[in-house]
Amino acid sequence: MADRRPAATRAGGRAQVVATRVHGEAAQPRVEYQGLVTRGIAFVIDAALVNLVAVAVAASAALIVSALSLPDSLDTVLIAAGSWLFLLWSAAYFVTCWSSTGQTPGNRVMRIRVVRAEDGAVLRPWRSVLRLVGLMLAALPLFLGFLPILLNERRRGLQDALAGSVVVGAPESGRRS
Amino acid sequence: MASQRDERDSPRAGRSRRSGLTAIAGAALRPAVGTLRLGGRAAARAVDGVALASADLVLSSRVAGEVVDRLADSPLFERAVSRALAGPLVEAVSRDIVRYAVLERVAETLLEGDALDSVLDRVDAADVPRRVVDRLLADGIVEQTTARVLEGPELERAVETALESAAAERLVGRVIESKLLDEAVRRLLESEELWVLVEEIAQSPAVTEAITQQSMGFADQVAGGVRAGSRRADVWLERAARRALRRSAREEIPDEPATRRVTPP
Repeated sequence: MADRRPAATRAGGRAQVVATRVHGEAAQPRVEYQGLVTRGIAFVIDAALVNLVAVAVAASAALIVSALSLPDSLDTVLIAAGSWLFLLWSAAYFVTCWSSTGQTPGNRVMRIRVVRAEDGAVLRPWRSVLRLVGLMLAALPLFLGFLPILLNERRRGLQDALAGSVVVGAPESGRRS
Repeated sequence: MASQRDERDSPRAGRSRRSGLTAIAGAALRPAVGTLRLGGRAAARAVDGVALASADLVLSSRVAGEVVDRLADSPLFERAVSRALAGPLVEAVSRDIVRYAVLERVAETLLEGDALDSVLDRVDAADVPRRVVDRLLADGIVEQTTARVLEGPELERAVETALESAAAERLVGRVIESKLLDEAVRRLLESEELWVLVEEIAQSPAVTEAITQQSMGFADQVAGGVRAGSRRADVWLERAARRALRRSAREEIPDEPATRRVTPP
């Protein structure tokens, strides 16, 4: 069966194989699973960011609505719609960040990354959604769902067990010159 | 016979007799000698007067000038001058000039008298300084001199010496303590241009970039501190939880295939 990969990719693969034969396996960076406090601080930063944007948007919306002469019965509908929008925004924030780079802004500050437990790749979107659901479920019983982080060898909580993820340390990204 | 015998008998008496005769002759001839001397002097004076008169006559005549001109134009004169200049005359003259301080005496005389002033007045009247300056500027002497001074070590040495001197320190101290500086600062702060300049500098890309870098560096430092603290807190909290639940301490997982690739593809 013909190899359909681009020539550059094939050449790169061959070079990798030769380099491995000559020099042996490259030293892998030591995986450092992240604990509850670090992840909690990252989550606090994310929550602050999410709420800051939400408050700014809500204030703008309220300003606009106040300028219009709307009936009072519409307030409940607007509040409900705003709540749903807030939940949607929060979910989109986490799911997008975990599925794209594996890092939310809070994770970036704390230099941690959410990856798949089996191969270290970033999570697929459905796994990210599952992880978000797991996060809420873990928080519901008085945060007992996070207790396994303290006891598990790989520091995995309920949300990690559901989504098959781990939280590891991220190497420092390149600085601007 | 008797006198001859006496002379033979007493030579001392003979010598005294001879000296007496000489004295008498000298006294007799003295007026004549004086007259001769006076005559000689008068003759010498007359000869000198005649010689001087002749010299004056010769010098004042047109022939003398013509003779001098011809002599000066003649090859003989040129040869003589060349010979003199090629020979040791120049060195001898130079040595004598130095030995007898001729230049110093001349300079002293010039400085004491009005000659120098008059010379300077004439130089000034002839517009010599301006012409000299024009010539120097046209020839690029100023540029060459400036380049030489700037490239050479002399300027640096001079500046170093000036800065290290006690006079410079005193001068700086006096400037700082003087009211002039306070007044200058006050006027500077009151001027509108200063604040325009400050605004321009503050808004320049270089400054904003530097401030951004500095702020990011500071934020990085703070974040680094928080990260280190949180890692320590992780370990501490985990140990406490495991101890409370009577669980064994956490073992480091050496290297797992599932987590080798920590960066996304």
